Amino acid sequence: MIVALLLLIPFITALALMFLRPTQQAKNVALISTLASLGVVLFAWSAYTGGTVIHYNMDWVPAWGLRFVMGYDGVGLLMLILTAVVFPFIIAAGYGEKLQHPSLVNALLLFTQTFLFGVFLAQNTLLFYIFYELSLIPVFFFLLYWGGEHRRAITVKFFIYTLLGGLSLLFGIIYCLGQGAGFNGDFATIGALNFPLSTQIWLFWVLFLAFAIKLPIFPFHSWQPDTYAMAPLQGTMVLGAVMLKMGLYGIIKIVLPIVPQGVIHWQETVIVLALIGAIYGGIIAFRQSDLKRLIAFSSLSHVGLLCAGLFAWNSYGVSGSLYQAFAHALLVVCMLYISGAMKERVGSSEMGAMGGLKLRTPRLAALFLLVLVNAVALPLTQSFVGEWLMFAGLWQVNGWLAFAAVSTIVLGAIYMLFAYQRVMLGPDKWALEMTDATTRDHLVLVPLIAVTLFLGVYPGPILDLVDVPVQQLLSSLSLN
Amino acid sequence: MEQGIITAIRVVPLEHYLVLSFLLFSIGVAGVVFRRNTIIILMCLELMFNSVNLLLTAFSAYHSDPRAQVFVFFIMLVAAAEVTVGLAILVMMKRNVDSVDVNQLNRLKG
Amino acid sequence: MRTDLLAILVPVLPLVGAIILASLRRKLSANVAGGLATALIASSFVASVVLFMGFDASTGGRTVHMLDWINVGGMNIPLALRIDALSLTMMLIVTGIGSLIHLYSIGYMHEDERAPTFFAQLNLFSFAMLMLVMGSNFLITFIGWEGVGLCSYLLIGFWYKTPEYNYAARKAFVMNRIGDVGMVLGMVLLFQRFGTLEYVSIMDMATGGMNDPLMIAATLFLFIGATGKSAQLPLFTWLPDAMAGPTPVSALIHAATMVTAGIFLIVRSSVLFELAPFTKDIILWVGTATALIAASVGLFQNDIKKVLAYSTVSQLGYMFVALGMGAYSAAMFHVTTHAFFKALLFLGAGSVIHALGGEQDIRKMGGLKGRVSLTLTPPSIRMDGPVKITYITFFIGTIAISGLPLMSSFFSKDLIMAYGFQHSPVLFGLLLFGALLTTFYMFRLLFLVFYGTYRGKAHPHESPLTMTIPLMVLAVLSVVGGLLNLPHLFGGHEPMKHFLETAADAIRYEHLGLSATTEWILMGITTVLVFATIAMAYGRFAKRATLEGAEADMPFFKRLIAQRWRLDEFYAALFERPYGWISTHLFTTVERHVMVPVMNGVGAAALAMGGVVRKLQTGNTSFHLLAMLCGMIVFLLITLMSN
Repeated sequence: MIVALLLLIPFITALALMFLRPTQQAKNVALISTLASLGVVLFAWSAYTGGTVIHYNMDWVPAWGLRFVMGYDGVGLLMLILTAVVFPFIIAAGYGEKLQHPSLVNALLLFTQTFLFGVFLAQNTLLFYIFYELSLIPVFFFLLYWGGEHRRAITVKFFIYTLLGGLSLLFGIIYCLGQGAGFNGDFATIGALNFPLSTQIWLFWVLFLAFAIKLPIFPFHSWQPDTYAMAPLQGTMVLGAVMLKMGLYGIIKIVLPIVPQGVIHWQETVIVLALIGAIYGGIIAFRQSDLKRLIAFSSLSHVGLLCAGLFAWNSYGVSGSLYQAFAHALLVVCMLYISGAMKERVGSSEMGAMGGLKLRTPRLAALFLLVLVNAVALPLTQSFVGEWLMFAGLWQVNGWLAFAAVSTIVLGAIYMLFAYQRVMLGPDKWALEMTDATTRDHLVLVPLIAVTLFLGVYPGPILDLVDVPVQQLLSSLSLN
Repeated sequence: MEQGIITAIRVVPLEHYLVLSFLLFSIGVAGVVFRRNTIIILMCLELMFNSVNLLLTAFSAYHSDPRAQVFVFFIMLVAAAEVTVGLAILVMMKRNVDSVDVNQLNRLKG
Repeated sequence: MRTDLLAILVPVLPLVGAIILASLRRKLSANVAGGLATALIASSFVASVVLFMGFDASTGGRTVHMLDWINVGGMNIPLALRIDALSLTMMLIVTGIGSLIHLYSIGYMHEDERAPTFFAQLNLFSFAMLMLVMGSNFLITFIGWEGVGLCSYLLIGFWYKTPEYNYAARKAFVMNRIGDVGMVLGMVLLFQRFGTLEYVSIMDMATGGMNDPLMIAATLFLFIGATGKSAQLPLFTWLPDAMAGPTPVSALIHAATMVTAGIFLIVRSSVLFELAPFTKDIILWVGTATALIAASVGLFQNDIKKVLAYSTVSQLGYMFVALGMGAYSAAMFHVTTHAFFKALLFLGAGSVIHALGGEQDIRKMGGLKGRVSLTLTPPSIRMDGPVKITYITFFIGTIAISGLPLMSSFFSKDLIMAYGFQHSPVLFGLLLFGALLTTFYMFRLLFLVFYGTYRGKAHPHESPLTMTIPLMVLAVLSVVGGLLNLPHLFGGHEPMKHFLETAADAIRYEHLGLSATTEWILMGITTVLVFATIAMAYGRFAKRATLEGAEADMPFFKRLIAQRWRLDEFYAALFERPYGWISTHLFTTVERHVMVPVMNGVGAAALAMGGVVRKLQTGNTSFHLLAMLCGMIVFLLITLMSN
């Protein structure tokens, strides 16, 4: 029932929006739909007692032995919560945007949500793959029709690049299905695959490439800054907050179980690449003049750390990475919302055009500051819990890598504070009156910040959710 | 089915039916592939249908199995529908590009 | 229980204040906000005093568990507070001096339209600082550690319209963060080694294993953290710039409390440092170098607050010297007395600045004491200066920091110097030299501000009572602060040391083995030289009507010192500018000309492949039909042949 509701609520709403085109009410309808999904997910969370909950398990393509299996475990539930929590705010962010055809915009967003739910609910690799690629389609159209400058070229590039990764993933999955070793595509039967190390070494990259591009980790990231900067605000939010988490989820659910030895073989390589990305993104972010592009590079930096933490493959690293994934989703939405709010007032997201805005918009400045505190991972915010766990996990792998990872906290402070200064501080150069944070701004930012702080002080609920599945994952592969 | 018709059909050896329908079908294929006039292409399609129908009837008679002839009726029905659509397309084509030459319709060129 | 609740209230009260003030900052007047903030921190102080009174040192201390914080896969870090001698000492300093400075701020900030915000941030700082000193494990301390960093950032940049102030704030935060890298790594290492971060458990487990490389690494990392927060070489340059903040902030954060966090941390983990003599040596020499370099810079500063800032850095250096010699209680003693007299000096400086309407340049001050005359019948001192309370208290602060006999610093700094002599006479010489430099620049400051003739234009006026009461209280404390740890030589029995050793075992082993005669001689030498230095400063500065000329006229070495050893320029050339350059060029060169083309290459490859295949799509219907036919024939053949 939960699975069906999660897929149907956004899907039917999206169809309705697309065909009925209730222009005036589109945003409200979409908001109600996402809130309903959130309610369903929270209900699922309250009812969750551990283990993998399978809701559907039926024949799909009997000729190939494929089964249609949907359900969730702790990690999947975390991702569902993340998606469900973030989407109402993404829809709400649309109230400030003056996009044409709001019905279509919201329909596309809800389609995306449907497919994202599908990704996190799928318990079969091929089903996962299908939702994984489907989710790209509404985003593609959203970016193509509502994007900024150079939207065609950038969108097509983004599409081809991620599709290339997807193709590689598909090849990998089909290769595994072709083994006939009792693996029918279900996550539950992945254990039947037992590739020799020589196969795992190359198969790892075949499977990992898709997620490396999606996340993205260095050197597969170059689609990201342009796309983030060009995409409409809500598009960037979807990409940055939720879609990249599919990569993380895919690594845990597909890459690790299929090629555990391959993962260990390439562990240090991936961590090094991810950390290079974390430092690279952090350094570049410092001198970016466009707030959205800065957020793109900061996201690259955060995600690099996230991926490095994951590849520590011990309970601290993986739990920390998952926790941080949640934190990062909220953070990205907050940051982008603020950049949108500034753009609404100043007319551009160029920081050169801002400065001294604290005087005109003190409430917004205060909210920005609270978001910034989370972005630089001060203790008692959500990000700190995740980062601390990742540092502890990385240290177990290699002290030098941990050192590189920890050094990103300096880079983060440098570019975030500089950005804050350029936007908010300094002499007042605005002769005109500007509206301070509106009720809508408060309604979006305050709950997100509250969640961030609450989970920073009391991370128990989320950590408990992932603790057991992570332990199982690691112990079943005897990696821990 | 009436025994007389079956006997009549069986008067001609099966090989003749095969050869005839093969020829008819080949003419149809050749016409569809090589002619440019859409009307002729449509007629050639009909020719292929009919060659198949002929063959089905012949086999039906020789095997004393009426099911194949039921198929023939289905095919004729579908062919009629197809021609209706085909001619409608033809009319539209004439209206739009003022020609019935299929090579005028090359918008799919990559 | 009741004590537990009380302990929790101590940090929570200012936090509540911060939240209330921050949310109502537009509705409250400056005085109401200040009153509320002061009342809350004062309640914290009362609670701390009650805790202190009810504290039985012989039990060692207790841990107050509040909440499970990070609890995952074998890592269990609770939100818990530790009440023991060390945290109580720091709590009393933080809340006590904090209350005085809050009170002072009511007067100092009453004209500022953002005063409620100021008090909210000040309360938030108190909360963070209390978390820092009360945490029962490293990570709770780190909460406070980063919290005070944030508040420091906010308060340095409080007047955010001035770009320089924002720069200073940013610099402080970033330099602290560089130290924090060390702190985090140290914590990770300790966790890895001990499986816990609780102070009590770690100190119990850490026995034996002298010079264990892991312990050296861990302590070095913690020390790097401490150099950031406590402004030691090479990370001290942020502190003088931090004077951009309002003066009460400088007094509270950048003199009395936050900057001593590094010393607190090392005393907290003193057992670990005892196991790593190598680290202690490094601490010792970093402390000495910082003390001397900062003191030398102090000689030439012309901004009243900058002089005090360098003096703070220098005094912190002394504390680290003490730590490096394992004299933890001496360091804590100096932390305490320094908190008294440096807060006093900063508040006094604030009062002068307030009196002169914002003027901070000592070249534009002078003569503020007015005429002082003694009358014997009735016995009284008559003064006609405009800021007499400020003058008297500032005077007391100056003699206290200079270590005149029986003043607080006389006991605390001399204790460190005595330990220095025990360590090596050379060290004593260096420390003595630093102490004389301190005396010299402090009296230079005193004489230039209050003596001679007035060189400014503003009309000085005495500050309101809310500002002078804290001054007077602190002046008294600066005088009698030495009693807290009165040495045997003066008939005391070092109460503070004995109190603290219940919390930090390492203090039990520190012992000053000098004979009474040696101590008397050292004290005598110091005192004589201090008086000589005062006389020298008096001769040079007391009667001045003008000051020496520009830096350009100075000889090279003097100029180098006056320009702060050109450390800021050095860091700018070595780190700041290259970092900006790298940032720009990574983007314009690597990203734009390597990364993006590679990605475009993938797209181009896809297009090229399409270019080949598209030729097949002629668009010719007949051709497509033919292709279809061929395909069908091929499939037919395959089917036939496979049968």
